[in-house]
Amino acid sequence: MSDRGATRILAATAFAGLAGAVATGPVAGWERFWINWIQWFLFLLTIGLGCLFIVALEHVVGAKWSVPLRRVPERLSILILLACPLALVGLFSLPVLYPWTRPESLQNPLIAGKSFWLSIRFFAVRAVVCIGLWVIAYRILIRGSMRQDQDKDPKFNVRARRFAPVFMVLFGITLTVVAFDWISSLEPEWYSDIFGVYIFAGTFLAGLAATTLAVQHLMARGRLPGVTPDHVYNLGGFLFAFTVFWSYIGFAQYMLMWYANLPEEVFWYKERLEGLWGPLLLALAVLHFFVPFFVLIPRDSKKGRRRMFWISILVLMAHWLDLYWMIFPAIAKNPVFSWPEIAFGLLFISTALLWIRRAMSRGADMPVGDPFLREGLEFRL
Amino acid sequence: MNREVFSVLGIFDSAQQLMDAIPAVKGKVPGKLEAYTPYPIHGIDKALELRKSPIAGMVLVMGFIGAISAMVFELWTEAVDYPMMTAGKPFWSWEAFVPIMFEAMVLFACFTGGLGMLFLLNRLPMFRHPMLSSRSMPLVTRDKFALAVETEGQRVDVDGISRLLQSVGARSIEVVEQMPATGPASPQFLFRFTVGVMVACLAAGYLTYWVIKLYPRAIPMVHMLDQPRLDPQREDSFFRDGAGMRMPAAGTVARGYMPYLIQSENEADLLPNPLPRTEEVLKKGRLTFNTYCSVCHGILGDGKPTLTAAYGAKPANLVSESIRDYADGRLYHVITMGKNAMTSYAADVGREERWTVVHYVRVLQRALNARDEDIPEEARK
Repeated sequence: MSDRGATRILAATAFAGLAGAVATGPVAGWERFWINWIQWFLFLLTIGLGCLFIVALEHVVGAKWSVPLRRVPERLSILILLACPLALVGLFSLPVLYPWTRPESLQNPLIAGKSFWLSIRFFAVRAVVCIGLWVIAYRILIRGSMRQDQDKDPKFNVRARRFAPVFMVLFGITLTVVAFDWISSLEPEWYSDIFGVYIFAGTFLAGLAATTLAVQHLMARGRLPGVTPDHVYNLGGFLFAFTVFWSYIGFAQYMLMWYANLPEEVFWYKERLEGLWGPLLLALAVLHFFVPFFVLIPRDSKKGRRRMFWISILVLMAHWLDLYWMIFPAIAKNPVFSWPEIAFGLLFISTALLWIRRAMSRGADMPVGDPFLREGLEFRL
Repeated sequence: MNREVFSVLGIFDSAQQLMDAIPAVKGKVPGKLEAYTPYPIHGIDKALELRKSPIAGMVLVMGFIGAISAMVFELWTEAVDYPMMTAGKPFWSWEAFVPIMFEAMVLFACFTGGLGMLFLLNRLPMFRHPMLSSRSMPLVTRDKFALAVETEGQRVDVDGISRLLQSVGARSIEVVEQMPATGPASPQFLFRFTVGVMVACLAAGYLTYWVIKLYPRAIPMVHMLDQPRLDPQREDSFFRDGAGMRMPAAGTVARGYMPYLIQSENEADLLPNPLPRTEEVLKKGRLTFNTYCSVCHGILGDGKPTLTAAYGAKPANLVSESIRDYADGRLYHVITMGKNAMTSYAADVGREERWTVVHYVRVLQRALNARDEDIPEEARK
């Protein structure tokens, strides 16, 4: 398919999705509209943040092998710039979706105790501050790297290595804020200390999967010359490790709450195990952990093109399912999936793909100005 | 000239010469081809066609076995052999078993990886590898590269192999002699020594067990026997009144407490059994009866237990005519308040459980005094 043809099809699906999404509010209710909004904007945001984290991780540890691949997560993290305005629009969902915005919620001592944190004004301030920090990090780490393509100035590496550890701290805090604000405060009585870590595990995994997928896509088109299966193997190793990390954290959260059996903790799981949500959680465990884990065990599958391609698609879908399982039970006793969800999916995914295609078509496919590029290309297991 | 040797070494000057020689020699010599180099050479394992290490598969299988045996062990001890209620959870609580399964899996996998590598693949204990006393060893750990035709004691044509190695560019040739395995460093000696140590450990453990059993004062460690704690119905200096047990706080009632106001057995005759006579109730009644009542009243309720002689009192025959005439309420009253030597069971057996026991006692009475019409039609003929 030609480039222009693909762009046209994506634009058409985006418009079809837009029509469906606009119709969702009046036809299926505004609650449905906003929950879809939250779900999809978080899906894009977490992928973008995961990719930004991969870039920062490389700078922190001074990894050389990933230098030839770095431009891929750098370009993918442009999703953050797409997701930030979506988050600002998402602030309008607060009175519709979030129970703590209603005055009667203060009757509940559990919510009243959190009223300092859960106020619309403070929520908005946090959201704006987080967005500001991400945009600053994007400018320093990614714009700086793109600028290095032209001026070949090795000072960027020094600057990035100084800034990346700071970003790690900010990333941890802002991602926890995202987890607590946008997801866990849908049910404000609930609390879980580890929830931020759980979201981090999913975010990093989603970023890795998106990176792997894009790397496979670009390699198939010959746009990453010199990148060998050994480089892909390392991405596969990361994917493998972090499927285990995700399930470790997810199970740790579940088991501690199951053991303690405190009403303000277990109700969240009870809602998410009742009806068809229970089988959905089982499906999540299989798709998010068992399948990737066992497929990625052999050494060859971490290098295999087809297997890495399909596994990264699977992990991205499982990440979506993970978010769906956390977010949707706030409004639905049983899983709902029909035209509003599909319309939102078409709209957000097509837009994201168009957005990424635009980023992918500009500049070099590798950080050609990075002095470590050659060393990275020579990497062998 | 054919004779028994360990290997024939061809010494090369550079890695490239060695790599070039491998395909020329491969397939034309007996035994296996091995290379000794001062540093790892990329691609040499592929060139030598070294088989993939079986360690990965062994670790996978043993990891599985570890996880499954931990699960079966926990299931057996916690839910089958000695069912024990922990924190009000069901006996079969897989959530609580997972951490131990995980640990056992890691343990089995690690031991298999480490010990399998050392003993199965590298054939330890082997202190004297023939290569270590060869003249070439100092060379290949410095700047020379050796290609070895390892026959490990077969009779081979040494001169033929030497000529072949020289023809592909070997600078010099060394024949490494097979070593006789004798003395304290031989595998046989070490094997016997290890088995001896294990047998000594087992004997010491067995001896310790009997010493502690026969002479109970010889307690090797007291760790958990001696700890500060409040014992029920014992003095204790922790509280000012010197008692270990506490009275309930003034003005409070225990959760679920219901006052029992019936004073006499005659009064209790009027109490109706609130539970229906369903299979579920009877099963619960049997469990409770077998746990608390059968110790004295016998498993059939006929007053013939094994404990009687030791205990001294004569328990009532629950299936006798006089007790068959008891009203349900009177049986309940006796369990609640006790009678003659029997103490009150109100503290051990809950209100509903007592009523299930009443139902079950009726079953026993009917079963041991069955009439003809209780037997099914077909069985009577």
